[in-house]
Amino acid sequence: MAPIEKRTRMSWESALPRSLAGGALDRSAAGTTDPAMDSDAFAVFYERSARPLWAYLVRVSSDPALADDLMQESFVRFLCAAGAPSLYTMGETAARLYLFRIATNLLRDHWRRPRAASIEEIPEEFFAGRDSAAHSDSQIMLGPALRRMNPRERQLLWLAYAEGYSHREIAKVTGLAATSIRLLLFRARRKIAGFLRGRASHVGRES
Amino acid sequence: MMRKNCPHEKEIRELIEDGHWPLAALPELRAHVGECRTCSDLALVAGVFQNARIETMAAAKLASPGVLLWRAQLRRRNAAVERLTRPLLGAQIFALAVTLLAGLGFMGFEARHGLAWLNWLEQIPQSVGPLWDNLFSASVTSSGWAWMVLVAGLATLLLLGGVAIYKATDGQERIGRP
Repeated sequence: MAPIEKRTRMSWESALPRSLAGGALDRSAAGTTDPAMDSDAFAVFYERSARPLWAYLVRVSSDPALADDLMQESFVRFLCAAGAPSLYTMGETAARLYLFRIATNLLRDHWRRPRAASIEEIPEEFFAGRDSAAHSDSQIMLGPALRRMNPRERQLLWLAYAEGYSHREIAKVTGLAATSIRLLLFRARRKIAGFLRGRASHVGRES
Repeated sequence: MMRKNCPHEKEIRELIEDGHWPLAALPELRAHVGECRTCSDLALVAGVFQNARIETMAAAKLASPGVLLWRAQLRRRNAAVERLTRPLLGAQIFALAVTLLAGLGFMGFEARHGLAWLNWLEQIPQSVGPLWDNLFSASVTSSGWAWMVLVAGLATLLLLGGVAIYKATDGQERIGRP
């Protein structure tokens, strides 16, 4: 992935007194975030990261409108976060991982709010019929199979096999222990493979 | 469920991620996938998810990055303003507490020293009563001049009070605006 060119441009924070700059000047001094992530640098990062993030959110939540909202909120929180990794010093991969972590936390908060106390307790009926993504070949195969998985399994499967993240990276995004990812992922993969094979034979019989 | 590791898993995964599976895979590897349950699961799931990722990403309708930058800047500025006003509120509460403590201390001091000032307080109605009577009688008799002065004074007080309340609430609203 090509590194993002560092530019030095006057940001809005520098025009404000230190107390009014929202901590941005302190963060710049500490080097934890970009000294001034200007609009061009952010646009490049956004262009590369927004679509994968939206795909992750829409496949896990099965709700495109929710995915839109959470994606925007994730980017805004990323820009405001004091501990966000710098694009210039830590690279785009670390920044994207952090972005996915924010999105995962937002998803969990969203699921906790309306009805269930835990992500595992959400009934699968809640997701049934909510997926209005394009009805493509992969959607015909994957959609019904994903709906039969619980949200945690969807997250793990998507991060591992769609995004290609390692177990350690998935642990960072989901907050689970890296050692348990391997087994959880193995079980989820075996489960969805069974659903996919069943779906393939069903579609084959219909056609 | 026991997890069985297969030495070919990593190789198959890399081929799928690079888009080389199954066309660029060795025939032996393809034959292995046909026999190994772990590898066939991996090939099936990873292949379907990779295709789904490409199709879903193409369906994304993205907002302008400028809007997100603007929202983030607004949120940071509001957080900064809130941080700035928090000590002011603390200082106001502190000042009020100090004033109350001083008042209570003064009352206690006076109570301990015989409440001498209460004698003066008792004389107030006696001194104000005749003055009020004179004012009232004068206002009735002297062509309404005293009434006008009284009404003008009250109106000024009301006006100044209103301005003071408006200024105070306006300042609070400006500070608390999101």
